[in-house]
Amino acid sequence: MSQSPVVRLQDVTKKIGSRTIIDRISLEVFPGEVFGFLGPNGSGKTTTIRMMVGLMSITAGDILIDGHSIRREFPKAIRHVGAIVENPELYRYLTGYQNLVHFARMVPGISRSRIDEVVRLVGMESRIHDKVKRYSLGMRQRLGVAQAVLHRPKLLVLDEPTNGLDPAGIRELRDYLRNLAREEGTAVFVSSHLLSEMELMCDRVAILQKGQVVDIRSIRREPETSEAVQDDVWFDVDRPEDALRVLDGLGKGRLEDGRLTVTADRRTVADINRRLVEAGFGVYGIRVKTKSLEDQFLEVTRGESVG
Amino acid sequence: MVDFLKLLQNENMKIYRRAATWVMFALVVGIPVMIALAVYLFTPGDRPSNWFITLIASNILINLVAIFTVVKAADSVAGEFSQGTIKLLLIRPWNRSTILLSKFLALILFGLIMTVTAFVASFVTGAAFFGYAGSPEDMGRDSPWTYMLLWYLYQFISIVVIATLAFMMSAVFRSSGLTIGLSIFLLFAGNIITSILMQLDKPFVKYVLFPHLQLATYLDGGPGPLPMYSLTLGFSLAVLGAYFLFFVAVAWLVFSRRDVS
Repeated sequence: MSQSPVVRLQDVTKKIGSRTIIDRISLEVFPGEVFGFLGPNGSGKTTTIRMMVGLMSITAGDILIDGHSIRREFPKAIRHVGAIVENPELYRYLTGYQNLVHFARMVPGISRSRIDEVVRLVGMESRIHDKVKRYSLGMRQRLGVAQAVLHRPKLLVLDEPTNGLDPAGIRELRDYLRNLAREEGTAVFVSSHLLSEMELMCDRVAILQKGQVVDIRSIRREPETSEAVQDDVWFDVDRPEDALRVLDGLGKGRLEDGRLTVTADRRTVADINRRLVEAGFGVYGIRVKTKSLEDQFLEVTRGESVG
Repeated sequence: MVDFLKLLQNENMKIYRRAATWVMFALVVGIPVMIALAVYLFTPGDRPSNWFITLIASNILINLVAIFTVVKAADSVAGEFSQGTIKLLLIRPWNRSTILLSKFLALILFGLIMTVTAFVASFVTGAAFFGYAGSPEDMGRDSPWTYMLLWYLYQFISIVVIATLAFMMSAVFRSSGLTIGLSIFLLFAGNIITSILMQLDKPFVKYVLFPHLQLATYLDGGPGPLPMYSLTLGFSLAVLGAYFLFFVAVAWLVFSRRDVS
């Protein structure tokens, strides 16, 4: 990551009256990176995004996009940004195509063929000449993505982009965003309160709580399968207390919520299974308990309710 | 410049791609036809001149044009907020003031097109039903063209001021409903307010907006909207101009500064 960041938040603070909504947030997003912005509802995700795209003023600090300050050089900074803030609200009385023409006119150099290309990209060819009021939420999301990428932005900002999408749509969007980051080097900034989703979509995640970034961490992409790695493994067995005794020091066994949990490498897991079966226990399931982002998130936010 | 015209083109698209706009035009064309038809059917003997019909139809139409322009003004900014599209509109490489200007110009253009349509429709139907008279007796004027064109010019100036007031409220309240309600109320209460003001003998009265919207009272050397104050057309225009600038300034300040949430 020796490249210069596409967007840089520097001690960004937002106060409304005496209330501090956003408290000195600093972070950077690099080209080709999908960056997650994760936090419970009301933690300030949308406020931060609104400041990033210039819809809200910044009380203190600054946001630089491609080196231009969003406060002082708004047109230059926003030129490189495509965004959906909250829901993709488009002109309902216009067709999808007219909506795209509308936004294309506002940025120099977008040709009709680029519009057609984007329409194909989001798979809207058959419905693009229908009025937006006849679109489903999923289709409006697609059109929202289309207007956001029309001008080939260096930074794509999406606020809760999977809202209202069905599982297939979510998957499609995720693949599209990862592709965009990889192929075109676009920096993608996605907010969400859905942890599992961020885990699948993002390279790095910032965790936001009460207006402060409490943690920024990378997400492990490829799960390591090396023999030496110790995982927490759940064994679904009869009489877990007795089973724990039978293990007799194989792996690091304990009971969690009445379930037999063992920290062990792959080979030991197989040994434990054999021993349990030989001792007459029914083993109904063995599951690796990967430490998900959710656990990490709950750890960091100390179990405050999410969603 | 070319790029700014594209913004204007966008605003025009948002006005003329709506069915409601075409209903408005249909009414402005249809009403003079119905008036002319009714007069034609019920006055078999002594027919009025085409100019008489034009004037009657214009007096009705101009109120309608004012209302329609106010409705569009109210929708112009507030509509973007209530639909949520403002969030997509303002994240383009344009300053907010330029976007506001494009909206305002599109609105004034709409008011102008409406006003011209009203004149053309009321003139054409008048002439179609009752023939063309060069100097009609029943209007008591030698030059009906001068009179009608000036009349429309004065009315258009009032419409611009009222529309600007509605446009300002649209930017301040961000609610089309409230803006439409309030501006139409003011439009009609204006006449009542004017007649109440006439009873008062206070110096501030001549600086109130509403009387000055009746510019047509200066036509044919008339005394103006408040006869006892001996106003002049120039004075009325100056008052309207001052209000206009104030409305524009408030709309601009609010629109370019406030957070969009």
